[in-house]
Amino acid sequence: MNLQVIYCNHQTASLDLRERLAFTGADQLAAAYSDLRRAFPGSEAVVLSTCNRVELYTAQDDPKAAPTHEQLAGFLSSFHGVPVENFLGDLLLQSGPDAVNHLFRVCSSVDSMVLGEPQIVSQVKEAYRLAEENSACGPLTNALFQGALRVSKRVRRETRLARGRVSIASVAVGEFARGIFDRFDDKTVLVIGAGEMAEETLEYLKADGVRQVLVVNRSPERAEILAAKWGGRGFGMDRLEELLATADVVVAATGSDRPVVDVEMFTRARSGQNDRPVFVLDLGAPRDIDPAVAEIDENVFLYDVDDLQETCQKNRDQRSGEIERALAIIDEESERFMQGVYHRATGPIVKRLREQWSEVSRLELERLRSKLGHLEASDMEKVEQSLSRIVNKLLHPPLEALKEEARDGTPHGLIDALKRLFHIRD
Amino acid sequence: MADVAIFCFLASYTVAFALELLRLRTPGRFGVLASVLFSGAGFVAHTLFLWNKGTTTGIPPLLSSSQDWTLVLAWLVIGLYLFLVCCDRRLSIGVFLLPLVLALVGASYLLEDSPSRLLDSDTRVRTSWAMLHVSSLVLGSAGVLAGVSLSLMYLVQHRRLRNRGGRTTGLRLPSLERLSRMNWWSVAVSVPLLTIGMGTGLVLLLSGSEATGNLSLTDPVVVINGCSWMGLAALFCWMLLRPRASGKQVAWRTLLACGLLLLTVVGLSVLTNTSGLSSGHASWSSPASAVSAVERGTVG
Repeated sequence: MNLQVIYCNHQTASLDLRERLAFTGADQLAAAYSDLRRAFPGSEAVVLSTCNRVELYTAQDDPKAAPTHEQLAGFLSSFHGVPVENFLGDLLLQSGPDAVNHLFRVCSSVDSMVLGEPQIVSQVKEAYRLAEENSACGPLTNALFQGALRVSKRVRRETRLARGRVSIASVAVGEFARGIFDRFDDKTVLVIGAGEMAEETLEYLKADGVRQVLVVNRSPERAEILAAKWGGRGFGMDRLEELLATADVVVAATGSDRPVVDVEMFTRARSGQNDRPVFVLDLGAPRDIDPAVAEIDENVFLYDVDDLQETCQKNRDQRSGEIERALAIIDEESERFMQGVYHRATGPIVKRLREQWSEVSRLELERLRSKLGHLEASDMEKVEQSLSRIVNKLLHPPLEALKEEARDGTPHGLIDALKRLFHIRD
Repeated sequence: MADVAIFCFLASYTVAFALELLRLRTPGRFGVLASVLFSGAGFVAHTLFLWNKGTTTGIPPLLSSSQDWTLVLAWLVIGLYLFLVCCDRRLSIGVFLLPLVLALVGASYLLEDSPSRLLDSDTRVRTSWAMLHVSSLVLGSAGVLAGVSLSLMYLVQHRRLRNRGGRTTGLRLPSLERLSRMNWWSVAVSVPLLTIGMGTGLVLLLSGSEATGNLSLTDPVVVINGCSWMGLAALFCWMLLRPRASGKQVAWRTLLACGLLLLTVVGLSVLTNTSGLSSGHASWSSPASAVSAVERGTVG
């Protein structure tokens, strides 16, 4: 199995870069998968694009068909229209066991900005579903992503990583909004977007006492469904400016590829009330709110995901013990996964070797039966058993050697030697 | 217990302030505990000092000398600090309140500590007017001090939040909303109290010109303090007329008005008592002197 991942995340690249390389929406992803199939026809591919990371996983049976770091970077560059030199230094590449370990870490939220956050699991699932929908993935990536989801479950079950504040929204509200407002039950909250992140934010804010909830979304129906669930009111995007004027807390979490709130709109909404503090949280990548909105007046407190780095790092430092436990599980699972992969790689040769030797033994037995017709059935059975034991004993050393070699990687050399020694053809 | 000196609690407050500063770098439960312990020890010594003064002179510390007047003010502020820290130990309000306490206790060294006239048996009569005058001025000044600290806290917190500082640093402050509300109330409480203080002072001045000696309405101390009070009253009116004014605007104006008032009150007390400023209020600067003067006027 040849597997590699090229990625940039919140630890390696700024939000400015991440949003330029992000894949937003099913249509853009469909176009990306189409380009990937054309550029790397022998490869399976899965794109994982969230507010914290942009990752491109590729896998192929033939190591010679594996795309290089430069080729994958070139793909990102041409697809997004961003010169390679602008981001090559921020782009990391992992391959083989390291790539597996990386995905397991990502899916277990060890690599997340907010340690233990549950959203990443559904984001990984959704990324794989979209790859499948676009016929971009295959058996290798399937095994990899299923393995990642299984490991994530185990990490959450066996560690306390997912306890405490485990969402970006909860960290942002706890860290910044509580520095501005004393209470939330008399505040109006406007949520832009009706996705999972928006819902999670609402869940947290409602638990904090928020009563007045407004949801705006491109699809008013979805906004109404989400708002109704949390005792609020839903609207279409056409009401956004009007609702911005009434909100004390604005949370934007859409999948839009460009800001849905620009300076002009926000200035109009703020006119006459620039003495009232407003907390604006932009959870989008690309950002949903123009960063220049923060400069409109001094009572606009605008934050994006990168503003939470310091708090999240503190959170990580406090839970280093849990991280170590999670990493131990991930390392163990990565090793097990890779052994499974290697064993699967040696499977066909083992099968063919067994079949070939069993066939020789069967032919010899037939010949013996025709020459020694006077033998009783019970005697023939004993001869058959003896021959089977001989075959197994003769096969044991090479198969053991193969198994031993497969622990450290696909034993290409030994497989080739066995093929040549025993005339096994693909 | 009778040997408690100003230095005792000044030293305790200094250590407590140093510990508060240390907490900014390395926040932890131990730092808060140590800071509260030193402040509490200082507070006990402070209380004993004022109690001793009161029992020695036979009159409340408010009326004995301008030094005691300042020390009572510092005592009120440290009491407020201990109360707030007990309510929420994570808050770093000591960083803002303790320097004010240190400044007041430090300034008290420069102020008059001569209750001699009060100890004269024929002037040891308290008038309710003088008591009302000084107590409302002290409480009003405590409100002004609170206003200065709260405004500073608001501005620091505002700046931190605008610069995406968050709460991860050691400095933990109440929310802008709470600071703004507390700031409003500190002004709203101190202005009427200071007004009562000024009004009763005026009554004392007009009721017995003989008693107040050469103190007049044109005395520089009376004029400057009056102007500072007017500045604070103007701020209060502005706050009432502009209920939707932004917290930052209120904080800046409060800081200016209260800061100016505080500086003039303490500064003038120091200047008149060190004879740097010629004022009829010098002999009257301590409320105790006022009492004695009023007593002389009414008796004589």
